[in-house]
Amino acid sequence: MAGILFLLSTELIQAQEDATRYLDLIEKKYSGLKDYVVDVNVHFDIETLKAPDMQAKLYFKAPDKMKVDSRKVFFFPKEGGYFNPFVFNKKDFEIKLLERLTHDGKNVVRLKLTPTDTERYNKGFVLTIDTDRNLIREIKISPSEGREIKAAIEYGMFDGFELPICIDLQLDIPGSEPSGMREFTQFGQRAKRITGKVQMTYSNYKVNSGLSDEVFKEKNSHQSKSSP
Amino acid sequence: MKLFWFEIYKTFSRWRTYISFGFIALIVILTEVVMKLSANEILYRMMRSFERDFLIFGNVLNGWFVTAFIMNSLHIHIPFLITLVAGDIVSNEATSGTVRFLLIRPPSRSKIITAKYFTTLFYTTGLVIFLALICVSLGLILFGGGDLIMNYQNKLRIVFIPEEEVPVRILLAFAAATWSMTVVASLAFLFSTLAENSIGPIIGTMAVVIVFLVIGNFPFDFFRMISPYLFTTYMIFWQGFLDNPIPWPEIGRSAMILGFHSVGLFSIAFVAFNRKDIKS
Repeated sequence: MAGILFLLSTELIQAQEDATRYLDLIEKKYSGLKDYVVDVNVHFDIETLKAPDMQAKLYFKAPDKMKVDSRKVFFFPKEGGYFNPFVFNKKDFEIKLLERLTHDGKNVVRLKLTPTDTERYNKGFVLTIDTDRNLIREIKISPSEGREIKAAIEYGMFDGFELPICIDLQLDIPGSEPSGMREFTQFGQRAKRITGKVQMTYSNYKVNSGLSDEVFKEKNSHQSKSSP
Repeated sequence: MKLFWFEIYKTFSRWRTYISFGFIALIVILTEVVMKLSANEILYRMMRSFERDFLIFGNVLNGWFVTAFIMNSLHIHIPFLITLVAGDIVSNEATSGTVRFLLIRPPSRSKIITAKYFTTLFYTTGLVIFLALICVSLGLILFGGGDLIMNYQNKLRIVFIPEEEVPVRILLAFAAATWSMTVVASLAFLFSTLAENSIGPIIGTMAVVIVFLVIGNFPFDFFRMISPYLFTTYMIFWQGFLDNPIPWPEIGRSAMILGFHSVGLFSIAFVAFNRKDIKS
């Protein structure tokens, strides 16, 4: 009996180590990425948000600094909107290998990341990782409070780094109730869910240009711990 | 034309005419200053359905948004200000005892009533233009420019209009608002033609507007059935110019219905004034 338990726990540890290995490889692949600046175009296909395409310049500095520079009003998804290869730190998550499979001719694994510090990260993720090229192909935010978000990422090569050229975000999140006093016409109406797609295309990468921290001290900067 | 300018002179010589302009200036200044002071609260209310999932950058609470917000809030109150002059313009002649003197002069009754009606329209247009000027100029000074984001809570959606398009859209919205107010002015004008004092037309017009607005907004099937027959249902068609895409067929239909109302109400006033008995 003790022997069987020992064997099971060794297999479990083996699988766990295997799972973290994939994240280690991604971290290693991007270890030379210090910062990047990129032009981003956001296209909304959401019924409850009628907006034309929005453009901005996005600044990122490892490990978690982000800033958006836009002369105009700019809506940017909090989750899955930009690429940060360092956000899935193995110290912050319990990592479980869900499955190995072939997807679009590529060898991929699915990892489930459950936050260890729930105050810092309030949700888990399921990552689909291309094991041939050590790339995160898909990020699925574990359904919580009726929210489902899925990001599919396409990459291009820029200055020796594979960085996103397109992130397709699928949203299905609950909307809020109308604020304040309801009008007569609003009786019986339930808050509509925000469903649809947001497509972010990235161009004109400038990688490792030596962005100073001062850039991120201005307004519109955002230090993201919980958003990939 | 002479008669028209004469009526304009008479109307703008009365202090009552300026109450509306003063009221609008006071409300707009007060609203915009309070909005400036409570900017964070307003932004939270505006964006809370999206702020949880989106980072929002840029000047959302700008002069254009404030203008649209005030237009939304005041479209019930402006009719009252319009009736102050429109409801008084004909009946005032009876109250001050000048109606007989006026009607024995060479200009025909038709010319007199038409001149008075155009004066009413001039005042109505002036009032809405004044509202537009003060809203936009003060709004842009206090809040700056930017893209316009409209949160249509009754439709549960957000509409985003790029800054380049906003001035034209706002201009069209105010033109549409003027067109809507013309119906209220015409109704007050008709009542003014029928009455011998000014209070009746003012209260009568407001009563009609308020009752129609309340009935039109009740969420019961019976009232929903009636609402297409109430002119107040079409009075908010200016909002269409701040929507995406602009619902042109709906706007055209509403503008036509309101136009028919104005023409109809003026025609009744025209006939009533021509048949008015001034001997008794």
